[in-house]
Amino acid sequence: MTRTHPHNCWYLLATSEEVGRTPLGRRVLGQGVVLFRTTDGTAVALEDRCVHRPYPLSLGWLEGDTIVSGYSGFTYDARGFCVHVPTQDEIPVGARVRSFPVHDDGVFVWGWLGDQALAALRPPAALPWLRDDSWVTIGDSWETAADLALLHENFADITHVAVVDPFIAPPVLRSSPPPLEVEVTETTVAFSRTYAAAPMASWQAELAGLDPALSHVQRERGAFVSPGVWVDSWDVEVEPADQSGPHALTFRFTHAVTPIAAGRTRHTWRVSRNFALGEQASKVLLPIFTDYYGRVQTILETMQQVLDSDGPRREVNVSADAAALQVRKIIRNMVADETGIPTRRQSRAAARNR
Amino acid sequence: MVATKTIVREHEADLVVRAADTVADGVLALTLADPSGQPLPPWTPGAHVDLILGDDLTRQYSLCSSPGQPGSWRVGVLRTPDSRGGSERVHTSLPAGATVRVRGPRNHFPLVASPRYLFIAGGIGITPMLPMIAEAEASGADWSLLYGGRERSSMAFLDELAGYGDKVTVAPQNETGMLDLAAVLGTPQPETLVYCCGPEGLLGAVEKLCEDWPPGALHLERFSAKPQEAAEGGESSFELVLERSGLTLEVPPEKSVLDVIRGAGVSVLASCLEGVCGTCETEVIDGDVDHRDSVLNEEERASNEFMMVCVSRCKSARLTLDL
Repeated sequence: MTRTHPHNCWYLLATSEEVGRTPLGRRVLGQGVVLFRTTDGTAVALEDRCVHRPYPLSLGWLEGDTIVSGYSGFTYDARGFCVHVPTQDEIPVGARVRSFPVHDDGVFVWGWLGDQALAALRPPAALPWLRDDSWVTIGDSWETAADLALLHENFADITHVAVVDPFIAPPVLRSSPPPLEVEVTETTVAFSRTYAAAPMASWQAELAGLDPALSHVQRERGAFVSPGVWVDSWDVEVEPADQSGPHALTFRFTHAVTPIAAGRTRHTWRVSRNFALGEQASKVLLPIFTDYYGRVQTILETMQQVLDSDGPRREVNVSADAAALQVRKIIRNMVADETGIPTRRQSRAAARNR
Repeated sequence: MVATKTIVREHEADLVVRAADTVADGVLALTLADPSGQPLPPWTPGAHVDLILGDDLTRQYSLCSSPGQPGSWRVGVLRTPDSRGGSERVHTSLPAGATVRVRGPRNHFPLVASPRYLFIAGGIGITPMLPMIAEAEASGADWSLLYGGRERSSMAFLDELAGYGDKVTVAPQNETGMLDLAAVLGTPQPETLVYCCGPEGLLGAVEKLCEDWPPGALHLERFSAKPQEAAEGGESSFELVLERSGLTLEVPPEKSVLDVIRGAGVSVLASCLEGVCGTCETEVIDGDVDHRDSVLNEEERASNEFMMVCVSRCKSARLTLDL
């Protein structure tokens, strides 16, 4: 089957918190990866398979800066080199597991499983609001049994929210949307829409301590940052009581999506806000967003089942799909370029005729 | 007129010229950065940007810095007696500290993964090759560069290429004569991609020599439109169906497909308007396209899947596009 997601990309492997002094096994891009920290706190990602017998290193343990296989006792350093075998003094020549470039930004640990030489030539996404004290963030992570592309296409068009979850949707989403502005570069897509003044969702007004009947200009912004990251925002413009000038109550949604294998994707979502920063608000918001993203998960899994059983078809797209179509084009081009199919357009034809 | 519900445009920003260095006779290298120091959009080797130099004066330049350094972009601009004065404007009005509107990046000259590359650059055509070479070298690919120019002093970035040793052949015409293209291209090489950028004479010669190479082996980028033969008996009109928008329109002989699409209020990306930059590439659903661009290669044209709506037309009575 033709590959549908790029490998030359920084993908989320785990949260920084999850990676510690106990080996953690994850599957990424059809391959097992073991994560741990060395004694100085450096995050390490190695191929999760002992070279001796097919046993995951993540089922072993750490000794200092090395990881020991729980079956053979083969011991590997942080670069993946075998440094000790229990049964002989000589280390078998060339015994090593792959090690993967890692970027630990303090919140997330990103890994590069593609052409290793290119990792340094592709900067990882910066998501500073996840570390900033003026934002509070909630979220969760789970596996969605759907291809990466289905998740991106879902993020690229939020007009479905009013259909999927009328409670969570701001009331303006139920009206005819204002013009969609889509901005593209070679590898990114951003879009925005500004809605005429309307009341905000009642649950949001309640959290912000504002009269739910008041109308506010609201703005939606989304960005396909890379095949591994989507970021979008919902701004509600408000006039504060203290005359400090208009500012926006913002929800910022961060989606890190990591292909596990074809048709399976790890979805790590974060909802950050710059208002109602207390813990009580987080307790209110977590079930609301868990429920919404859970519905999205079920829908995307159902779509994947239809694709698996009936195959792809030419779809009818509407103007609201403009961003999603640009994202598809970028992902297709990336896959074509890195798999070495001679021209990108031929491979697009191949992808469609698959 | 139908209301435009969706506007698709390319990224645009006012960037500051951090440095303007003369790197060879008549070649200025501009280093561009965001005024507040924000990272610029990511790109890959082969990408180019538009410098918007004034009303009706937009020029494309390949990025020749490293994609690993998102803080700035670099372009190399050769001063040419250009009829429309783009390079002249860059040389005279963009000193360090100046601001310039930049659109993009976009990439129609991507570096496709391969175990072996043959890079051929003529003059300022060296610019897209610099990041490509860095990437090929980092990946451990086997590569060589044949770099031609008038004379050594006119050839930019020789200092940056010096570190690659004998993988680089520098061939100034006044020292070694015309590039010996037959020596490198005469026999098709297996698993090798050819990347060429430079003046039309070089591109045409390379295209001819690569006729016996496997389909898709040759990748080239043009600075200006490929010479076109005029249509026999003048242009004809045809019906244009925009499937997603649900519109059926008429393209008269004197208008381009792009003119008609825009006239109907449908947003479509476009930049150079002469079939060079590839921005207006649009998916074809049905119709026999009369390709007149300088972007698509023969196989791509034959596939009839995409067209450049700024210059290409239709031979059949109806053209249906995914717009």
